[in-house]
Parts: sequence; C-alpha cells; structure tokens
Amino acid sequence: MLKPRPMCRVLIAAPKEQMEPVIQELYRRHLFHIEDFVEQGREGYEGFKIGMPLPRANDASKELLELRSVTNSFMLKSEDIDPTQKRSSPELEKIIERDLPLIEKEATELLGNRSKLETQIKEYEQKIEGLIPFTAVSVPLELLRGYSTLTVFAGYVSRNVTPACPFDSEYIPSKGRNFIVLIVPATAGAEAEKALNDAEFQPVEIPEEDGYAKSRTGYYAGNIATLQDQIKEINAKLDDQKKQHAELLLACDELLTAEVERAEAPLRFATTDLAFVAEGWVPETEVEELSRSIMQVTAGKAYVTELEIDLEHDKVPVEYNNPSFAKPGEVLMDVYSRPKYTEIDPTLMVSIVFPIFFGIILGDLGYGIILLAMVLGLRKFLKGEEGRLLLITLRNASIATIIFGILYSEFLGFPLWWSSIMPNRHLSIGGHGGGHGPAIPELMIMAIWIGILHITLGRILGMVNHSRQDHGAHRMKAVLANLGWILVMWGILTLIWSGFAIPYMIDLTGMPAVMGVSIGAIAGAVMLVIGVVFIARDSFLEIVELPTIISHVLSYARLVAVGLSSVAIAMVTNYIAIGIIIEPQLEHLTVIGVVIIIAGVVVFLLGHAMNTALGILGGGLHSIRLHYVEFFTKFYKGGGDKYEPFGMKKKFTED
Amino acid sequence: MADAVMTVEMIQASQAGMKALGAGIAVGLTGIGTGIAEMGIGSAAVGATAENKDIFGLVLLLTVIPETIVIFGLVVGLLLLF
Repeated sequence: MLKPRPMCRVLIAAPKEQMEPVIQELYRRHLFHIEDFVEQGREGYEGFKIGMPLPRANDASKELLELRSVTNSFMLKSEDIDPTQKRSSPELEKIIERDLPLIEKEATELLGNRSKLETQIKEYEQKIEGLIPFTAVSVPLELLRGYSTLTVFAGYVSRNVTPACPFDSEYIPSKGRNFIVLIVPATAGAEAEKALNDAEFQPVEIPEEDGYAKSRTGYYAGNIATLQDQIKEINAKLDDQKKQHAELLLACDELLTAEVERAEAPLRFATTDLAFVAEGWVPETEVEELSRSIMQVTAGKAYVTELEIDLEHDKVPVEYNNPSFAKPGEVLMDVYSRPKYTEIDPTLMVSIVFPIFFGIILGDLGYGIILLAMVLGLRKFLKGEEGRLLLITLRNASIATIIFGILYSEFLGFPLWWSSIMPNRHLSIGGHGGGHGPAIPELMIMAIWIGILHITLGRILGMVNHSRQDHGAHRMKAVLANLGWILVMWGILTLIWSGFAIPYMIDLTGMPAVMGVSIGAIAGAVMLVIGVVFIARDSFLEIVELPTIISHVLSYARLVAVGLSSVAIAMVTNYIAIGIIIEPQLEHLTVIGVVIIIAGVVVFLLGHAMNTALGILGGGLHSIRLHYVEFFTKFYKGGGDKYEPFGMKKKFTED
Repeated sequence: MADAVMTVEMIQASQAGMKALGAGIAVGLTGIGTGIAEMGIGSAAVGATAENKDIFGLVLLLTVIPETIVIFGLVVGLLLLF
C-alpha cells in the first residue's frame, strides 16, 4: 500500500549447457524481469558477449510469421475469444506440424483469390469510369476512332463549339459540365483545336471498346456484381474457417510466441564461451522460491544470488502493490505515469477520491442508476484487462453518484421526497426548484474546503517523497519548501479568516488585538513570510508560482460548477418536456395531443441521454484532472518502468 | 429623458438585469478564452498523440488546463446570480 512491491536484484550464473532448463524455468515462473545486457564494458563484465539465440529460434519465428499472417487477415485477437479448453503443449506441437500447414494453405489460397477478385473489380470500375462520359453519345464507340483523314475530339467544354471548317459534332449539355464529340477533317485539326480551347476544352480519352458505351457499362457492372458475389462466398468460407479454427490458431500463436520468446532470451544475457549470466528483478517475496526451483532444474549447477540495489542509479521496475479494491485505480495512474520505485504510489488515494469527486459532480440518483446499468451491460462486450478495470472504476463512480444523489435528493433533476442533506443544488427553473434555490455559497465553501485539504495532503506527500528521494543539503531544503507552500496557503487563509467571518469556515475575527492588529492576522502574516522564505531558499524562481495557490484551490470550484450545470440541463429538459409540452396536453386530451405528448417524451429522453453523456464526460474528466493537475503536481513525478516478468499469462495453452 | 421617472422597482429590476448580463458575459467571455487557449493545445496534442500513443494521458492533461478559466467564469456567474 502506498509503496510499490519491494523488488530484489537477482543474478543467475550457470554453465551454458544449463541455459535451456534455466530459461524454461524462468519462463514458467513468470517472475524474472530481465535486465537486458548491453556490451559496454561494465565493471565486472569485461569479456562478456551478448548470447546467441537457441537453435530452435529460426524455425519457430518462421512458423510464427506464417501463422500471424493468417491470424491478422482473420483479425483474430486473443482478447476477443474466451477459451473453452486449454490445450497441452505436446498435443499442440503435433497439430502445428500436421494440421496447421493445411489450415494456413487453405486460408492463404482463399485470401489470394479474394485479392485477385478485388483487383479485377477495380479494373472494371476504372473502365466504367472511362465510359460514363460517352453513355449519352448516339454513336457506337468503334466509330469514334481509327480514321486517317478525320480527327475526333471528345471532352468537356464550357459552351457549344462550331468551328469554321466542315464538321460533325454531338453536343450533350448538362449541369456544370457539357460534353462534346467533334469530328473534323484531319487538315483542319489545328483550327478546331483552337476553337475548342476557346471554350475551355478538357479532353477525355476515347475508350478502346466496341459498341455503345451504355451497353458496355451495363456489361461491366454485371461482371462486378458477379465478382462481388464470389467475394461474398469467399468471405463466408473465411468466416467459417475463422469460427472453426479461431481457438486453435490462437493457441498455436500462444505456443509459438512462447517458444520464440524463450529461444531469443539469450540475446538479453551476458555470455562467455562456457557460461552465461542473467541479471534481473524479482519481487522480494518470491526470490527464495525462484532460486530454489532454479537449483532444482539445474541439479545444483547454477549460482543464484541477490545483488545490492543502488536506488540512485538502478532503474527498478515497478509493480503496483495495492489492495484489490484499489486495483482499478492503476489504470488511471498508468494513463498519467507509473510511479518511480522510491516514490509514494498514490493509487489508493486516487481510487478512493476519484469516485467521490465524480459523485459530488454528477450526484443524481437517476443518472447513477443509468450509469450503473450501462456499466453492467458493457461488461459483456469489453473483454480486455484494461477495459475491465476501467469499467470497475466507472462502476465505483456510479455507486458514488447514487449515494450523492440520495444526499442531494436528486433524480434526473427532480427533487426527491426528502430535502437535500448536502447543500441544496435545485435551481428554480420552471417553478420546480423548491425551497430557496441553490445554496451556492455553501456549495462553494464545501468545494474550497475539499481543495484546501486535498492540496495540503499533496504537499505533505511531497515532503515525504523529497525526504525519501533527495540527498544532502538539497533534501532539507526541498522538504522545507513543501512545508513553505503549506504555510503560505494556511497563512493566507488565516489572514482572510481574521478579517472576515465566513460561514462554515474558521472564524478568527474575535481574536484579541495587539497594537490594533489581531493576533490571527499577525500569525497569518508570519506563516506567509516564513513560507515564502522556505520556498525561495529551495528555488527563487518558484516565487512567481505563488498565485497558483489561489488558482489551484479555486479550481476545486469545478466540483460545484460542473455539477450545477448538469443539474441545470436536467431541470431545463424536464421543464421543456413536461412543463411546456406534455402537461398542457394532458388537460384536454386529443389525438394530436397524444402525438405531442409522444414528442415530449422523445425530448425528455434525448435531453437526459445527452446529459448523461455530458455528465460522464464532465464528471470523469474534471475529477481526474483535479488529481492530475492540482494533486499530482504537488508531489508526484512518475516515470517508473513497468515490471514485465519474463513469461506470459497462458490463456489457451498449458504445459 | 428629463421627465422619465425612476421608481425603486425599476431600479431593482434593472439591477437584476445587469447582474444577469454580467453573469452571462462572465461565462461567455471566459468560454471563448478557454476555447481559444485549448484550440492550439488541442491540435498539437492530437498531432503528438498520432506520433506516440503513450503520451495520451499527458496531452489530455495539457489540453484541459485552460478549462480553469471558464470554471472561474462560471463561479463568478453563479456568485452574481445567487
């Protein structure tokens, strides 16, 4: 919690003939995050070279490549398919040798045929395009070419052309572009061309076809239709194949991928002529187990040891270490950046506070229920790991929305039976407001309190982070600078409180005065000055950032503002749909009235659908933004590497 | 205008109207400001994401930063009205 999973740096050394069993074991355990060996003459690694792939690597990658070309053209993804059975490796290896080439051959043939047909369709389409201008011409196409004494012009012109020489022409005016076919004696070609050019002539090539253009177009269109039918047939066959073999193909893919990864692992190890060394990271709790199993598979011929970690220079891979309810928050963290190994991991705070902010913003029983239903419905369609976690985050947010909806007493903008337990958000739109309208000052003060506390928490975490990560003189300065920011913020607050009595805030106006100035104000001023000094000692330029204290705290007002705007949209929708459209019709029900009522219901549904979408977008984006911009900038840097252990989660296969 | 008579009700009504106008201007102008600010960031963000998908989170963050402006406008508007 609040810290990534503790890691150990592990070194494995063994003779080369033990390489394969060690790789097999590491792959099976799925725990060892390999640190790639780089030939840079690192201390203690003189004379080591990058290893050679295992002999099987070449064949396996070739097979995988062929398989991938098929799975890609089938657009098969392992996330989309739930395995019905797990196949064992020996069984699959047999299939790969015996059946896979046949399946691949069949699929490639079908795909090849399909692309041939598609090219043919393209050719026909081009021919049709060339024929279209001539479809209105009343002469067969073969009569328009092949003369030695006549010249034939065909093309688009802006107006009809009548050259001075003897000629025959067919002029087809149409909207925008007029088509002309002009036949003149070859001797008068230049003259005719000049006349045509005056009419902005754009020549069109005469197609090499016999017969009337219209019938030729029809002929080609017919051909295209036949080809398309054939493509449909092939597609159906491909679909059949896909359905039939999907799971098998994915299982083969998984097996071959594993084989290739294993075979290429030596490329990441340091080797000599007779031995190899692999360095990597293993979670602290698993080190013993892993080293024991490695000793077992090598019959004691390997050397496994823990190395010391140099936190300043080593890039320790980061694996989250959160209680299961906070897992979905990791998605939100990864969107920003994974924490560094030495940093506080704020996932837990994000996964608690994000739904609460979402609830404060949306806070409506009706929308909460709609969102919850949507999430539960979408669970069937979203299969990937990330999608699943995101849905859980949304589910938590929708539950918070329901809870805050009850507290705000809101259902799709309507008030519920009880009056709002939180400050009231009902506006007086169309007389539906009820009571005294929204309690804006109370809501604002609530938002600002949330902001003050959230930012103070961020700064405290900043102090912890700096005290952990920094060294020497800078460490103290950095910690004090964070304290300085807290002091400045609370100093400003104390100054305000001792000047004005604000409801729901601390009232310091009654404090005794020394020389005409209240003690509260003096204390506030002192805090402010000390704070500024602390900040300036760390970095003088930071002083220009002081106004961000106010803007960041005020930024939390969005919790109220965005929420109120969604309440307003909901109430306006209700007022238009029910107050203006439906209610007047209900008084004297007529046939037209029923139609208008249905229209009102449509308006009601559309308005609330739009508001739900806006609510999810606004609630989600704004609450995550408050984390990313206002909260994280106080303490969080991120940039840690993901812990990616060697191996894979098996979905379709088993050992 | 010399013979125009201003009653207290008229003054109150015009005050309410002015407040509403002020609130509208506050939200409207800050909205425009946010829009202009996000225009440049947004287009750069889309370009950057096309180059490298991993920075989506960061550029989303950068894009929504000017949103604070319109929130301030909205806050001012709400305080004026209520």
